[in-house]
Amino acid sequence: MNAIVELRNATKEYRGVPAVQDVSFALHRGEVHALLGENGAGKSTLTKMIAGVVHPTSGELWVDGQKVELGSPSDALGRGIAMVYQETSLVPSLTVAQNIYLTDDKLFHRLRGIYIAGQQFLQSLNFHVDPTAMVATLGAGQKQMVEIARAVHHNAQVIIFDEPTATLTPEEKHQFFSLVSRLKQRGVSIIFISHALEEALQIADRITVMRDGQHVVTDATSAFDREKIVRAMVGRTLSGELYGSHTDRQVRGAGEKVLSVQNLSMGNMVRNTSFSVFAGQITGVFGLIGSGRTEAAKVVAGVLKRDFFHGGQVRLNGRPVRYRVPRPAVRDGIIYVTEDRKIEGFFETMSIAENIHLGAMAAGRTKSTTVSMKEMRAIAKEWIDALNVKAINADARVIELSGGNQQKVVVAKALVQKPKLVIFDEPTRGVDVGAIAEIHHLINRLADEGIAVMVISSYLPEILQLSDRILVCRQGRIVEEFEGHRADEETIMYAAVH
Amino acid sequence: MRALGHLSQEQIVFGLAVLLCIGFAIALPGFLTTNNLLNLVRSVSILGMLGVAMGLVVIGRGIDLSLVALMAVSVAWTLQLVANGVPLHQAVAMGLAFSLVTGTITGCLVAYVEIPAIFATLAMGTLIYGFGRYFLLRLDVVYMPEAARHLLWLGQGTIYGVPVPIFVFAGVCLMGYLFLRYTRAGHYLRAVGDNLLAARITGIPARPVIVMQYVLSSLIGFMAGMVTAASVASMNTRVAISTYVYDVILVVVLGGIGLSGGKGGIRNVIVGTLLIGVLLNGMTIMDIQYTVQNVIKGIILLTAIVIDTIVNPRDEQTAQQGDI
Repeated sequence: MNAIVELRNATKEYRGVPAVQDVSFALHRGEVHALLGENGAGKSTLTKMIAGVVHPTSGELWVDGQKVELGSPSDALGRGIAMVYQETSLVPSLTVAQNIYLTDDKLFHRLRGIYIAGQQFLQSLNFHVDPTAMVATLGAGQKQMVEIARAVHHNAQVIIFDEPTATLTPEEKHQFFSLVSRLKQRGVSIIFISHALEEALQIADRITVMRDGQHVVTDATSAFDREKIVRAMVGRTLSGELYGSHTDRQVRGAGEKVLSVQNLSMGNMVRNTSFSVFAGQITGVFGLIGSGRTEAAKVVAGVLKRDFFHGGQVRLNGRPVRYRVPRPAVRDGIIYVTEDRKIEGFFETMSIAENIHLGAMAAGRTKSTTVSMKEMRAIAKEWIDALNVKAINADARVIELSGGNQQKVVVAKALVQKPKLVIFDEPTRGVDVGAIAEIHHLINRLADEGIAVMVISSYLPEILQLSDRILVCRQGRIVEEFEGHRADEETIMYAAVH
Repeated sequence: MRALGHLSQEQIVFGLAVLLCIGFAIALPGFLTTNNLLNLVRSVSILGMLGVAMGLVVIGRGIDLSLVALMAVSVAWTLQLVANGVPLHQAVAMGLAFSLVTGTITGCLVAYVEIPAIFATLAMGTLIYGFGRYFLLRLDVVYMPEAARHLLWLGQGTIYGVPVPIFVFAGVCLMGYLFLRYTRAGHYLRAVGDNLLAARITGIPARPVIVMQYVLSSLIGFMAGMVTAASVASMNTRVAISTYVYDVILVVVLGGIGLSGGKGGIRNVIVGTLLIGVLLNGMTIMDIQYTVQNVIKGIILLTAIVIDTIVNPRDEQTAQQGDI
């Protein structure tokens, strides 16, 4: 048996929804194996099963020819499997050496001792990091080196990198690749999750592509080229049935220009981007996570502030606007519907009626300083009926509802504010299939009513199904624009990856 | 413990209070008389009022450690002004204004300067006491001057045999209840406490609402202070550096208002106050030492919190939802 780690028919379900479905995956000894796929394809879940972070709902894990059950990440580490996360798991207030030796089962570490050992150890790996430096003072690339050093220190035979290059500068990326090849020489097997196809083609021995929680293809890197990978990433059969064909659809024309954004910048996330949104049509924005699409939308809606200098311009109906908080944006009719409803969407201890009514009050739809229970019920009933929210009654707390119904309440809370421009950020994330259709129907109806609608999604079928115009966001910038019925999954994905 | 799964902390604490009541009624002969029960409620009505003030702030996901200091100094200053010859109504207006302005400053520190509430109010409490003691007052204890004797009714009078402080407490509770349930500002306050980010995105003026919490707290604190001063015909400013403010927090947390915000209402304050009242009254009748009383209070608070954590655990599974 040549495989050091093997997953057989592994399935992981979150509340009955499979994130990974019946996937078999083998990592050969001493290879670099790239794992590719869209957001939500199940790459992270798959690797987390290997690293002992999540437990498979069903299926087997074999390590070194033995069937094992991993209870925790430290179990996995004991078997030589280490995972290096995108957000590092280092303790920022400790030094490099302290971090490397942190999980050793020793009561005391003599600082001098671990600094000397750390120095020698880091040098043996050819890492130029000062073992006495505080981790908080290091750059992203150096932090990653420390993580890797820690993994090697634990005699890791398998190292899993989750999007290792996303936060690195080109110089650091170069260092990272030479490091990977050095690790390979030491006989370490590597799983490498990435969005960057060129990198995978450059350093991997074999490539596995996943889609919708399922395994698509595994083959030697030489058998792939960029186009073949993109086709494997997007070519779906299941979703085609659910969403239908988008090409024979009537595309809405552009109405009045509602929003115009010019040279918008915000920190590292939004870099000098420009785009417009028109009334009476749906503008879809596709981009992978980290492409700055959410941040750009949040700046428009006043949730985030753009750079003070050279931050660019935002015009609403031709009038320049600059919002420091969302409230004036809401009053002007720009509503942002969040991608993360639990963190910034709804009020969990309050009832459905109170949630929706809060939206109405905040937008100034009711002027009175007291709350009329009758009016609150009336507004709530209107929207519960319009959006078909399934709950025992309007007094049910939102936290008790299913994901789809929670999302409907968040949408109702936004639409009750009578928007001119609605920005839906991942409107169907964590929503069941039935509710997806209803939410899509609602979004279409809004555009038909003449409202400017912007839909941000990292799910291509959704973008294709809904959009009259498609914008593609990459590395903080809108890079390409397509007409809704002309685009196809491959060209969009081609523009979105780098 | 699982059998208690459908009970809220409020119900548990209420049950505990009732049990204690029954226990004391059987064990202590003097407990279940009308006089003693009135005395019981009267003795905790000030604590209850402060509990409402603190409760409003805690529901808004804050905490006000300067509450008692501000109450003591503003009321003591009012009495001092009257003693210095300022007409009573003018002195009350000045004391109230001082209280409200200070509350506004505290609120701005939390909302606009974005200092965590616990530090901002801790510092403000120390500052208020020091400032008041050095610039406004000559002595620790300010006695009720003759010119302010009309105020005494507020603390010592009765209506149909029921002490006035109980009515004031009831009034504050009623106002608090109506505020939270039937006013726009009350709904905003709960929304901000429940989920600040969501409130912001919805277009609720989050920062002004936070300032309002502390202004309300200072307003109710001033009322409670006036009743305190009237009850004992003086205001002892040393209460500002005592552990009294922790008793107030005890009442609030015990009643089931979660420190994470958004949870609970005035009813929780009343329940918490009742339990503390019954407990203190019973222990006083039994003549238990003050220090031992503190031990018992501490144990009760810990028990209530532990029961709450077991009965209403945080759902870890939900945190994994987006974790694909």
